[in-house]
Amino acid sequence: MAKITIDDVTKRFGEGDESIVAVDDVSLDIRDGEFIVFVGPSGSGKSTLMRIVAGLETQTEGDIHIGDDLVNQLGPRARDIAMVFQNYALYPNMTVEENMSFGLKMSTDMSADEIEEAVTSAAEMMDIDMLLDDKPGELSGGQQQRVALGRAIVRDPNVFLMDEPLSNLDAKLRAEMRTEINRLQNDLDVTTLYVTHDQTEAMTMGDRLVVLNYGELQQVGTPLECFYRPANQFVAGFLGSPSMNFFEGKVEGGTLRADGFDFDLTERMQSAVGSRNELVLGIRPEDMTLHDRANSGHEFEAVVDVVEPMGSISYVYLQARSQSHDQTFIVETDGQRPISEGQHVYVEIPDRDVHLFDAASGETIHQRQLGDDAEMALEEQIKPAE
Amino acid sequence: MATTDSDSATASQRLDKDTREKLVTVVRHTILLTWSFIVLFPLYWLASMSLKPPGTANSLPPDWIFLPTVYNYIQLIQDSGFVAAFANSLVMVSASVVLVLLIGVPAAYVLSRYDIPMERDVLVWILSSRMLPPIAVVLPFFIIFRELNLFDTRVGMVLMYVSINLSLVVWVMKAFFDGIPETLEEAARVDGATQFQGFRKVVLPAAKPGIFSVAIISFIFAWIELLFGLVLTSFEAVPVTLFVYSFIGSRSIEWGMLAAASTAMIVPVVIFLIAVNKYLAAGLSFGVVIKE
Repeated sequence: MAKITIDDVTKRFGEGDESIVAVDDVSLDIRDGEFIVFVGPSGSGKSTLMRIVAGLETQTEGDIHIGDDLVNQLGPRARDIAMVFQNYALYPNMTVEENMSFGLKMSTDMSADEIEEAVTSAAEMMDIDMLLDDKPGELSGGQQQRVALGRAIVRDPNVFLMDEPLSNLDAKLRAEMRTEINRLQNDLDVTTLYVTHDQTEAMTMGDRLVVLNYGELQQVGTPLECFYRPANQFVAGFLGSPSMNFFEGKVEGGTLRADGFDFDLTERMQSAVGSRNELVLGIRPEDMTLHDRANSGHEFEAVVDVVEPMGSISYVYLQARSQSHDQTFIVETDGQRPISEGQHVYVEIPDRDVHLFDAASGETIHQRQLGDDAEMALEEQIKPAE
Repeated sequence: MATTDSDSATASQRLDKDTREKLVTVVRHTILLTWSFIVLFPLYWLASMSLKPPGTANSLPPDWIFLPTVYNYIQLIQDSGFVAAFANSLVMVSASVVLVLLIGVPAAYVLSRYDIPMERDVLVWILSSRMLPPIAVVLPFFIIFRELNLFDTRVGMVLMYVSINLSLVVWVMKAFFDGIPETLEEAARVDGATQFQGFRKVVLPAAKPGIFSVAIISFIFAWIELLFGLVLTSFEAVPVTLFVYSFIGSRSIEWGMLAAASTAMIVPVVIFLIAVNKYLAAGLSFGVVIKE
């Protein structure tokens, strides 16, 4: 077990003008035993960053420490890590048992008996002890996944690295394995880096998220912190499904004139906005409410474009009546509420749930409010991370 | 009444379907049997010719019913020239297959895994060794071999066979390695293997079907080679193909002996094929089309 320190790490592919920056000056402290999830869209550099920690890629600049050792010059075999690959990378010509014992044979001087014992106990932990004599080709996707995890566990490494390990599984199995990996990580208490583009996995699995985009660090924080206190518009839009709705607008007096509606800024918002002129208003679909008729005068009129019934809830795609272009936003409503396409409704945006972002930089300038209890709970979460 | 009608209609349709399926099966088998006959008849002809007594081998109309004799084979085995040529070929061709794999497989691996400058050009350059018809290069080869004292030597013939097969091995094996995910080696390295151990213990076993496929094809191409053997050997390093060819004399053709020697030539290839058969299916289905 070990902490990991990533110091000003940059990775460029190619040379000169044609070089691509995959990881841009990222610094990060990962505590011993922590479950860290690297999350971002494809091309965000999350896999590259993990491969640098693994030693499969060499950073162009910066330092990596695992435990107290500087590992810049060490190959993967000297770093005492175990990795689970997206395609599992099981050795096709070896049985499950040989797959699992390969690492121990290569990297330790354990006796054959000790290795067998370690493999058996890891196989039992992963519930694959009846598959030990099978070749990977004979296994189902889910079983291969378990073998890949078992192969990592048996090594008893300092660090687990998992590169999108669940993305080849079907939805049901993925949900199961998510829980299982969480449980394993809790039991084994090994520092774990987990790469995913799936925001559900990110939200449910990590102690902390590392949100990346275009190789740049966007935010590091607990899942709820990133969700409720996004550092910028990218994080706000990336986490949460469906995504947060964004409305661009200009400030005139105390009012944000967005495309389709006007929004009165509260005093707190106004002081946060200062002299900025162009803003983006962000609000999550579950925070907006639909009314059949205008009540308070704060609502604006919209037309239902598409309804996606999910059962207990429905996602309603709407277009503001006076909106100039074909842009829709999403509102979550009760699944039992009768609503149909083409219907006119009134949308309410509650002041307390609104995020404001700087239109140019994307930086958050105003965070939504939370209930007192939730606010305190979030503070509690954030504190030990500081 | 109406129900009975529709019932009988369905029944007759079902019957039709059954008959149709049977008919399709019959036609399919007929076609396959005909094709098998077309393919196997020359082999039967060759084998039956080799078992006929001298003088009757190519009599017309052919003797469909005859008393088989191994006379030709006994003659063949007693001919020290044939035994020497057969042994020559066996040794030279086997050695060339081992050598071409030792050179070609690592080369293909490097071309597949590393960023080689002008990789495409290197590959085409390797292939270009087979772009000229053999007859166009046989004389230059003769001169080179004579200068290097390789003329009529087994070493020379082994090198010759390697040059014939190297491009095939490199191209096919590169495609094969391309199909083996790189994460396998990365997993091995994370597991504590060196890069070479990763190649030897993980990639090479995974590439076995491909290696056996190119081995058998290289063996066949070298085994049936005649032209270079004809020009580049005279006595010491004569391959079996050349010996078989020698039964076609200027005045007469010894049909029985020719057939017996040809049949004997097929044996090693068949043995090799049976030995590596279980690896072959996977190798040939890798999407690489091989043509000579």
